[in-house]
Amino acid sequence: MELVAFASFAVLVVAWLIAPTKAEVVHITSVKKAAQPEAEAA
Amino acid sequence: MENINAGDTAWLLASAALVMLMTPALGFFYGGLVRRKNVLATIMHSFFILCLISVQWVLWGYSLAFGPDHGGLIGGLDWLSLRGVGQTPNPDYAPTVPHLGFMVFQMMFAVITPALITGAFAERKRFKAFVVFTLLWATFVYDPVAHWVWGSGGWLKTLGTLDFAGGTVVHITSGVSALVAALVLGRRKGLGLEPIEPHDATMTVLGASLLWFGWFGFNAGSAINAGGLAANAFVVTNTAAAMAALTWMTVSWLHKGAPSVLGAAAGAVAGLVAITPASGYVDVSAAILIGLGAGTFCYVGIQLTKRLRVDDALDVFGVHGVGGMWGALATGLFATVAVNSGAADGLFFGNPAQLGVQAIAVLASVTYSAVMTFVILKLIDVFVGLRVPEDEEVVGLDASQHREAAYTI
Repeated sequence: MELVAFASFAVLVVAWLIAPTKAEVVHITSVKKAAQPEAEAA
Repeated sequence: MENINAGDTAWLLASAALVMLMTPALGFFYGGLVRRKNVLATIMHSFFILCLISVQWVLWGYSLAFGPDHGGLIGGLDWLSLRGVGQTPNPDYAPTVPHLGFMVFQMMFAVITPALITGAFAERKRFKAFVVFTLLWATFVYDPVAHWVWGSGGWLKTLGTLDFAGGTVVHITSGVSALVAALVLGRRKGLGLEPIEPHDATMTVLGASLLWFGWFGFNAGSAINAGGLAANAFVVTNTAAAMAALTWMTVSWLHKGAPSVLGAAAGAVAGLVAITPASGYVDVSAAILIGLGAGTFCYVGIQLTKRLRVDDALDVFGVHGVGGMWGALATGLFATVAVNSGAADGLFFGNPAQLGVQAIAVLASVTYSAVMTFVILKLIDVFVGLRVPEDEEVVGLDASQHREAAYTI
């Protein structure tokens, strides 16, 4: 039982390590709007 | 089971719940201080840590911190998965409370400590790097230092270090690690070139108020019994927080020409930090002086950090590092057996050696935390990458890391 508990946590940790990191960053209208002036300035 | 005291158990479990609230409160405290494009990511840091360390602690963290001693440095693996930690009290730690109750109270300390560090790397750290860092830091920094100071057989405990509720274990380790993290990660893009301002000061003041509320559990709960010592800790905690808030506000008023609301909130937190190690050993007069020192030293510490161009984004080192060190040393100055007959007097009560012991604890925790945090961050940078790319930093972590937005208006 303890082993299964450890294993289930380990599975989550491995999933975090291999999960994708590059997302489509601007797809939320309000975020896009808020970020626009900064992006232009950059 | 006949040793279990209902009052002590009720107070310790209620205190655990109070301390639990502090971590989401910290999320709001920090969340208000960042720009609106990063608020969700910042709150998520605290919320995620609450979940992550809750599991880490029951699986192996508690065993490393409080398990049977190995050379004064670390607990053994005997209590992995809480094997042997049940309803019967452990006489070394809490003789009148179920061992599980003591364990869960300590869990909440283990949760909030890495959450404090997140303020230093706010607005630029990759979520994946943050996850790995938290797990490694909790295991290789928090758990060993908790054992040194609080674990049965820990070398600082054996030396006679006084740390009632975590000035060394919680605040010095997190504050120093925050400074190292800020140095390793580097400054936020645009800092100094464009205004980077808190997006919601009301959220920060609410967070600080909830932190203050939870801190009664943090300090008064550390008495481990519902008696006079808990009442003393409660009173000196409130006094030091109030005095530090008043002091910080006054200093900032004289320095910058206005009584800052955020300054009052930060000052209260600084006072709470500084009284933490002392709260079970000092009286109310000392609490006023500790609050006075916290409001002054932490304010000056933050100004110095900014002058050195270190981007400790939410002033973690200034508040927790400086406040923690002041609190630990102040304990060596103001501790008195009139408050706690089981402890020791400090310098002002005829025992200068206690100040030396406190200084050793400060030095050891600062050095160990700094070195270990540096190594952990460098390893993560090689294998995972610490910072988000520049375009993701510009658009904000809420969208780039979580694909969500805090506000739709």
